Amino acid sequence: MSGRRHVIVTGGSRGLGAAMIEGLLADGYRVSTCSRSKSAAIDKLSDLGGDDFFWQSAQVGEADQVDAFVKAAGEWAGEDGIYGLVNNAGVARTGILASFPNIESEKLIQINLIGAIQMARACSPYLLKREDGGRIINISSIIGARGYNGMSAYSASKAGMDGLTRALARELGRRQITVNSVSPGYVATEMSSTLTPPQMMQIVNRTPLGRLATEQDVFELVRFLLSDKAASITGQVILVDGGISC
Amino acid sequence: MTEDQILAEISKAITQIMSDKGLPAPTVTADTELLGGELPIDSLDLAMLVREMEERVGFDPFQDGFIDFRTAGEMAKLYVK
Repeated sequence: MSGRRHVIVTGGSRGLGAAMIEGLLADGYRVSTCSRSKSAAIDKLSDLGGDDFFWQSAQVGEADQVDAFVKAAGEWAGEDGIYGLVNNAGVARTGILASFPNIESEKLIQINLIGAIQMARACSPYLLKREDGGRIINISSIIGARGYNGMSAYSASKAGMDGLTRALARELGRRQITVNSVSPGYVATEMSSTLTPPQMMQIVNRTPLGRLATEQDVFELVRFLLSDKAASITGQVILVDGGISC
Repeated sequence: MTEDQILAEISKAITQIMSDKGLPAPTVTADTELLGGELPIDSLDLAMLVREMEERVGFDPFQDGFIDFRTAGEMAKLYVK
């Protein structure tokens, strides 16, 4: 046994997921991720992580693929098992609900919410086996708590994720497994393509810190929640939003 | 697998779960109640048992929904094809 901690981060092929994996590898974690297909970021992480990085093609939201991925990641990690799960995979689609195709809502909920539930289910046996507890971190969004024009399905998926966080925290707490939501505010990756410059300016102006949180800000909270220092924090939805929600 | 073989696998899996918790191997018969105090296992252990049995037998009888069971024998019947 290498005695290292292995964390699964879903949706590692781009954006925040890839940035978090890079940070976790630097911190000494072993990291697994899945995505539908390989990307330049996955190739970079493979080079960076070497034997400490595992990738397999899987579509979050498809139960069979999720189970196969988690099984493969568990086998890859061997006696290190699985210490943490970061449910990061998600899609954002915008549109006024009155004209938003039902199929798009279903796809979005399937990936963002059902996918997170599937991943937590598949990882639970590994987490329950551990003597040092475990971690589940759901990457939610301020939009789950506050809502946003044109993002009804997305908001519902993230609010659902926060409910998952609270219920699982109660269910798994006895085994010292903590479950939390990290809820970014209007961070670049998720929203930049959907906000107009005036909307963006308005958000910045309303933010107490006068700037948007960065991917690095979000990662710092994930890093803390994964650490032993955060062993007493569970069932929480923690916002990284520059204070806009206060 | 026969029902008796499956019951033996359930017993082995419970022994493993107990061992992981540092507890001695229990005696498991068809009439042993899985929850309710007879065994020192809780609902999370039972969830682990179900997943472990899926590994051992090769399928999950609960895939299409919950099925009530109380004893090890009743659980074993669910894995007989």
